[in-house]
Amino acid sequence: MKRRDFLGGMGAVGTAGMLSTPALLASSGRALAQGADIPVGLLFSLTGAVAVVESTLHDAALMAIEEINASGGIHGRQLRPIIEDPASDPATYANRARRLMIRDKCVSVFGSYTSASRQAVLPVTEQRNNLYWYPTLYEGRECSRNVMYGGAVPNQQQDDLIPWAIENFGPRFFMIGNNYVYPKEENNYCKTLLAKYGGEVVNEEYVPLGHSDFSSVINRIRAEKPDVIFATVVGDSDVAFARQYHAAELDPSQMPVVSLTRSEVEVKAIGGEAAAGHFSSAPYFMGHGTPENEKFVEAYKSRYGGDQVTHFVSEAAYFQVYQFKAALEKVDPANITPQTIRDAAVGLTLNAPQGEVLIDENLHTHLWPKIGQWKTDGQAEVLVESKERIAPRPYAAYEGQTCTGEGLVKA
Amino acid sequence: MSSKFQFELVALVIFAVVIAFGVPAVMNYDGFELNTFARYLALAIVSMALALSWGVTGLLNLGQAATFGMGSYAMAMHLKLRASSGLPDFMSWNNVSELPLFWVPFNSLAFTLLAGLLIPAFIGGLIGIFMFRARIAGVFVAIITLAFLVAFQLLVINQQGLTGGQNGLTGLAQMTLFGWAFDPYSMGFYYLVAGCVTVALAIGVYLTHSKFGLVLRAIREDADRTRFFGYNVANYKTLVFCISAALAGWAGMLYTLVLEFASPTYMGVSFSLAIVIWCAVGGRESVIAAAFGAIVVNMLEGRLSDIFVEGWHLILGVIFVLVVMFMPRGIFGLLVEGAQKLRTVGRARPGHAVEPLSTTPLETNQER
Repeated sequence: MKRRDFLGGMGAVGTAGMLSTPALLASSGRALAQGADIPVGLLFSLTGAVAVVESTLHDAALMAIEEINASGGIHGRQLRPIIEDPASDPATYANRARRLMIRDKCVSVFGSYTSASRQAVLPVTEQRNNLYWYPTLYEGRECSRNVMYGGAVPNQQQDDLIPWAIENFGPRFFMIGNNYVYPKEENNYCKTLLAKYGGEVVNEEYVPLGHSDFSSVINRIRAEKPDVIFATVVGDSDVAFARQYHAAELDPSQMPVVSLTRSEVEVKAIGGEAAAGHFSSAPYFMGHGTPENEKFVEAYKSRYGGDQVTHFVSEAAYFQVYQFKAALEKVDPANITPQTIRDAAVGLTLNAPQGEVLIDENLHTHLWPKIGQWKTDGQAEVLVESKERIAPRPYAAYEGQTCTGEGLVKA
Repeated sequence: MSSKFQFELVALVIFAVVIAFGVPAVMNYDGFELNTFARYLALAIVSMALALSWGVTGLLNLGQAATFGMGSYAMAMHLKLRASSGLPDFMSWNNVSELPLFWVPFNSLAFTLLAGLLIPAFIGGLIGIFMFRARIAGVFVAIITLAFLVAFQLLVINQQGLTGGQNGLTGLAQMTLFGWAFDPYSMGFYYLVAGCVTVALAIGVYLTHSKFGLVLRAIREDADRTRFFGYNVANYKTLVFCISAALAGWAGMLYTLVLEFASPTYMGVSFSLAIVIWCAVGGRESVIAAAFGAIVVNMLEGRLSDIFVEGWHLILGVIFVLVVMFMPRGIFGLLVEGAQKLRTVGRARPGHAVEPLSTTPLETNQER
């Protein structure tokens, strides 16, 4: 508890005053006063299986919060980040989310990478009518009024990608993914696009999460000789898959892996040599040439080290804090609640590192899809850039269902 | 013997009074704090269930989380059906068009409550029969139960259309019993969980001090001798496995109610090992001590993660290592030894030894 107050005071009071009692009194006193700090929760795993990715989201979000505080806060009030470590465990996510939303009275919580952790947080954020900012691309089919979805849904990643891949490489797709809801949903949507553009699925395969032996998969790929490997393999599995694919000397110019999940973080672990020549579809790549992105990458590197990378999820974790700021600025300072923030956020536009993003009334984000080819230096060369901002349709694969400002509507 | 029974009964009464009156008062009757504590109490039941098989009988069950998960999923299935009109949402995501047959009876609350106890007991019994009839003992019990746990978790994750896979069962309704909805932040709900813990502990205390418990302890010390006395060791072991599994299932049901979702991580290896740690910290020879251990460790975890956002795992790990090194019998052992010393000093009566206890559980009970 005490360190928490200290943390909050850090931005304003500074390290020197941190250990003195008056600092503690001052910061807890401020929390009660009129122009009090605004408590926001950060719920990213700093330990455990997904910490490799989630700690970068934590870093990006925290950086945004401190940038905002350094430039004077919002309505002259500082953001007070309350940091929790859910240790990659869904039950801990649920518990820590309760702490943040009920005990610490955060008006918003930023967090999560996996779908499982988002779903663990959902019951409490909906019951408490709080706001959960979720930066990750995900499978869609969700229409909560209490979650701000900052990442891409299937239609945003695939609408451009699939016809492009068929045209450039051929119509025969080999689907490989981890066995959980995200890859299955992406593949469901991919199949509807393949049917539309005359592609076909030669094989659809799912390996357990964390699976690291792809020799049999690679043998099947050799035998089938598909035109495109459509990959939704995540985390360590993807690293293992890419390395073994490279070791098996399969040629990316003959059978490229087109991934929805591989970002700069994974490529860093895979190694540029093995990743080179393959493709990813994402709204953001680190090398993207906007002034906002140059500022973001430079600030990130100077803060966390020159060898660090930014990627499409950490970018969203970063710009979502700024969306939160922009929404708060529209809200009456006397009436800051999760609902007023949500209502103010709808329709907001923001110059994010990837381009100008817009929050849809269904609380998902309009994004700028891109297709990049990985190079040996671990960066992607963007080959195709969407000409227009793409609207999020979380129920795109399901006719007659749309996610609207009133929630899910079934025709 | 009977003095020990009295001692445990007093401890049980104190425990019940503290969680019924002391804890809510300390927590200021705050819904969030009580919900957090209710979670610890649910975990206390599964820890005491392990104490029955591990501490009392000497069977280290590393698969306790599997039976815990069964109870938790049974409850979650009922609440999921309550929450969804027709087919649960995740099934249609997985292109399952009809409600699977084994889901249908979970529409009934009575069935669910029974199933949450009996299915784990049945599965526990089944594993027990195969293991103990074949006179498998010692470290092999740990290996087999661990293997079962891993296999069972994989099965649950892989049968995504039937179980929700990696995401588990989320978006649950609140349980209603006789028109009363269980709001997990209410006082009523807290007392429900507190009552369950007290009853479960009473059962545990009774079992350990009954004749049945005496036989179990005899088995722990020397299974062969117990067999020569004419006791059917395999049946006793199987029965205690069933009871322990049913109690774990009970804890699992409560856990789902507290957290409002069920996840396959409830049947994970790390969770199962955590149960062993709680039990060891509290003291595996006493069910009350084991329950106390679960509460202490989880509270410590909560507080530590609050104060040291980074590195709380490390601190916790160091504490566990220290406990195992310097208090191999846990907090309970410390108390017993303290009482022992007081007694020898006070009465100067040498030779009044505590009953022999194994410090290395894995090596006891080796059958040849």
